[in-house]
Amino acid sequence: MIVQALAFYMFATVAIAAGVMVISARNPVHSVFFLIAAFFNAAGLFVLLGAEFLAMILVIVYVGAVAVLFLFVVMMLDINFVELRQGFLQYLPIGGLIGVILLVELLFIFASWTVAPDAGAVAAAPMSALGEISNTRMFGRLLYTKYIYYFQAAGLVLLVAMIGAIVLTLRTRKGVRRQKVPDQLRRTRAESVEIKKVETGKGI
Amino acid sequence: MLSWDFLALQPALPEVFLALSTMVLLMLGVFRGDGHTRIISWFAVLVLGLTLLLVLDDLGGTKRAFGDIFIVDAFAQFMKVLVLIGSSFAVVMSLGYIEREKIARFEYPILFLFATLGMMMMISANDLISLYLGLELQSLSLYVIAAFRRDSTRSTEAGLKYFVLGALSSGMLLYGASMVYGFAGTTGFDRLAAVLDAGAVPVGLIVGLVFVIAGLAFKVAAVPFHMWTPDVYEGAPTPVTAFFAVAPKVAAMALFVRVMIDPFGALIGQWQQIIVFISIASMVLAAFAAINQTNIKRLMAYSSIGHVGYMLIGLAAGTQEGISGLIIYLTIYVFMTVGTFACILCMRSHGRMLEGIDDLAGLGKTNPPMAAVLTAFMFSLTGIPPVAGFFGKFFIFRAAINAEMYTLAVIGVLSSVVAAFYYMRIVKIMYFDEPAERFDRPIGREMTLILVGTGLFIVFFFPFIAPLLEGADAAASSLFVG
Amino acid sequence: MAELWTGYMLPTVIIVAQIIAIVVPLLFSVAYLTYAERKVLAGMQLRKGPNVVGPFGLLQPMADGIKLLFKETVIPSGANKVVFIAAPVVTFLLGLIGWAVIPFDDGMVLADINVGILYLFAVSSLGVYGVIMAGWASNSKYAFLGALRSAAQMVSYEISIGFVIVTVLLCVGSLNLTEIVRAQKDLWFAVPLLPMFVVFFVSGLAETNRTPFDLPEAEAELVAGFNVEYSSMPFALFYLGEYANMILMSAMTTILFLGGWLPPIDVAPFNWIPGPIWFAAKIAMVLFVFLWVRATFPRYRYDQLMRLGWKVFLPLSLFWVFLTAGVLVATGWVPK
Repeated sequence: MIVQALAFYMFATVAIAAGVMVISARNPVHSVFFLIAAFFNAAGLFVLLGAEFLAMILVIVYVGAVAVLFLFVVMMLDINFVELRQGFLQYLPIGGLIGVILLVELLFIFASWTVAPDAGAVAAAPMSALGEISNTRMFGRLLYTKYIYYFQAAGLVLLVAMIGAIVLTLRTRKGVRRQKVPDQLRRTRAESVEIKKVETGKGI
Repeated sequence: MLSWDFLALQPALPEVFLALSTMVLLMLGVFRGDGHTRIISWFAVLVLGLTLLLVLDDLGGTKRAFGDIFIVDAFAQFMKVLVLIGSSFAVVMSLGYIEREKIARFEYPILFLFATLGMMMMISANDLISLYLGLELQSLSLYVIAAFRRDSTRSTEAGLKYFVLGALSSGMLLYGASMVYGFAGTTGFDRLAAVLDAGAVPVGLIVGLVFVIAGLAFKVAAVPFHMWTPDVYEGAPTPVTAFFAVAPKVAAMALFVRVMIDPFGALIGQWQQIIVFISIASMVLAAFAAINQTNIKRLMAYSSIGHVGYMLIGLAAGTQEGISGLIIYLTIYVFMTVGTFACILCMRSHGRMLEGIDDLAGLGKTNPPMAAVLTAFMFSLTGIPPVAGFFGKFFIFRAAINAEMYTLAVIGVLSSVVAAFYYMRIVKIMYFDEPAERFDRPIGREMTLILVGTGLFIVFFFPFIAPLLEGADAAASSLFVG
Repeated sequence: MAELWTGYMLPTVIIVAQIIAIVVPLLFSVAYLTYAERKVLAGMQLRKGPNVVGPFGLLQPMADGIKLLFKETVIPSGANKVVFIAAPVVTFLLGLIGWAVIPFDDGMVLADINVGILYLFAVSSLGVYGVIMAGWASNSKYAFLGALRSAAQMVSYEISIGFVIVTVLLCVGSLNLTEIVRAQKDLWFAVPLLPMFVVFFVSGLAETNRTPFDLPEAEAELVAGFNVEYSSMPFALFYLGEYANMILMSAMTTILFLGGWLPPIDVAPFNWIPGPIWFAAKIAMVLFVFLWVRATFPRYRYDQLMRLGWKVFLPLSLFWVFLTAGVLVATGWVPK
């Protein structure tokens, strides 16, 4: 148990520290790297919870694909930090005030925290069979039966996002010669090669 | 194994049909290209019509699907019918426009269909998660449609502004929803209602509810969260604006009503104050802010904010009568808004869209029929007795008075007097100002049909009162029984 | 104290010993893979290849290693130092940590985790970071271009690799690598899933930035791509990492399609040979094909590379996922 506890505190501390660094790092590329560190530690926390499938998916999807695209974009952008800092200092009092108010509100709420009587039962319900089968299988069973509506709806949302990205950005430019693979494959020797007998000293 | 009862799809048949046929149309578009936009648009209208039939096919009773996260009752059916009618009008109105403006791409009707699907999912949501997913499906489609004229700065600005603020409001809604979940231990509306009826209400839940209300108020564009409306309405292509003013508003309002009445009905003492405030603020701000507008789309934006204020009176009353009034108001609002936007779409001169209020000058002389129809819509938007708009306001105010909310009713009446000023100004400009440019004619067969249809409905509203009242009462009672 | 020893220290010592037992032969193989590559290329081009250092040039990798070790590490003045140094370390580390879940024989695996294949997939998808970090931190246009190419390329091909893995998983019903190999007891998946095998192998070439997809380091256009500013040990780490990744990708191919440690047919002379030897032999065979491809194919043009990934492999692998699932459901062969 000690090892688990140590691992938990390590992952949790590093995740929070990385999260802080994401917003305070001077260089946005470094911010993305810290974001990746935060993802990794979140994955570590998932492993500790016994949700190894989620942990791996988090790494594959967020670190392996999403963060790469972030990095891609951030590296290409030329961001002027001095200007950003100026704005930051200017709005610091207001932002800080809002932050403090929200924090006080949260403390106020959590001071009066009472967990609803049903909460425990609800939280425990889907986990009942977890001991017997791997959590990947359990995910599948729940996702494709009980939560099929959410699953499909989320799929539709992503489909719309994809359509939107294509609609708003795809342009067919004129005057660009595109490679047409079928045309290339259809070419035969007869129509592309011609053998000529060239007489010496005459040229074609 | 788990049982397969979760897959009782029957109640969700219209949604399933709409989703599948939309994807079929998408494939059709992808393989046939942008040249077939007109055909796909008509297919889209057909699909919406068939969905409407499927919705009407199974009237009466309350049914649930997917394990209580999807609900179909009389209220949902009524609202779905309104949404489907509004969407069909919007698609039909777009036909000529997108071709003339050279933005006729096949994704346009497809995105309308997806947005409509999202709205139907919102209306039928019976769980905070299905609520959010429906909302996101709808919003995401709308963000894209708003920016559909991607070569126009104003359209892209509208899309971006809508996206950023919409994402913020979705964030607030989610934050609130997660708080509600944290304190109530469930996201299902039925169980939430059961938990709340049982007694003690934690403070955190109220705070969560406030965030949820803020998110929903953004979606219906009620006052403290209305800032996006004028810019988006002005920047988006006009038929898209018409769509925004109609279908999403119905869906968001339906969602608002269901969330407030169904799961949080027991907390009416807590949320009534907020709704009253939002309602008054919307009515008053819209009435005064609209006076200075010169762009008719911006004017319609403020007008829609005002109308949301009136509808919220019905919700604030929190009674069955109030909700029934809200439903009637919403129905009338759909028809008069569609009609008004059809008129705005006909405002084009030498192939160019006009949007200034001054451009209407002398319409009474240059195009008397259109001026007459637009006048009828303006009377209706104001709420002057013989036309439909009056009855909407009448039922709402009656409900407010019966619920003993006299201040609200009085402020509502006063703000409609102020609003009358800018609606009547349009009438005055049309009939008493020197004629400006003539509008292009003919306006197209579809437009004529829409104008005549909505115009007749608005002017000769009497025969519709009884059936509408009956339907609205049935719909409202289904909320309070269940 | 005794509990501390048996409960914590001893397992740690055992794990460290196991790690060393995996890493040392691995590094040795990496060294000799570079030698093999030069010999194979030489053979295919009718040359001799390294033949001076030691008998048959066998000490050449050692000589190369020592040379790189004693060179001066040059860090460009405009470079972002931390990231610049971290990049080769990341590449090298990722080439090694994937081996934690590779089963060399039934039960002979460092960490027999439930989601082994996802772990491998995650590790291989992280490989892109070494390249991007190097390209960005070098503060050089050539290196940056190489990094951008690599990012787009690896992300694109990961998708089809993902779908290929899904097809295999459908046939196995488990994400555990040992289970995946056991499921191939009767028939290697390379046979029924042949198109997926080909897609996986080609995507593997792209994922490891090997010819014909070695655009990130295309020497003719980008000097040497992302690692142009590197010298000495950091460069050696890139080099080692790249070859370690190749071996890892071959191991993945072997496990997914070529039956891992299993003999081709389970009869007398074949099943006398122990599993790890079969496994190594299969990896060596796949690696040979890697080298063979390098000797045979010219480099792809960038747009063709993208076209192949998105317009050929993606639809094909997606279709095969559907087909496999359909066949499994229709015939009732869905694994429990």
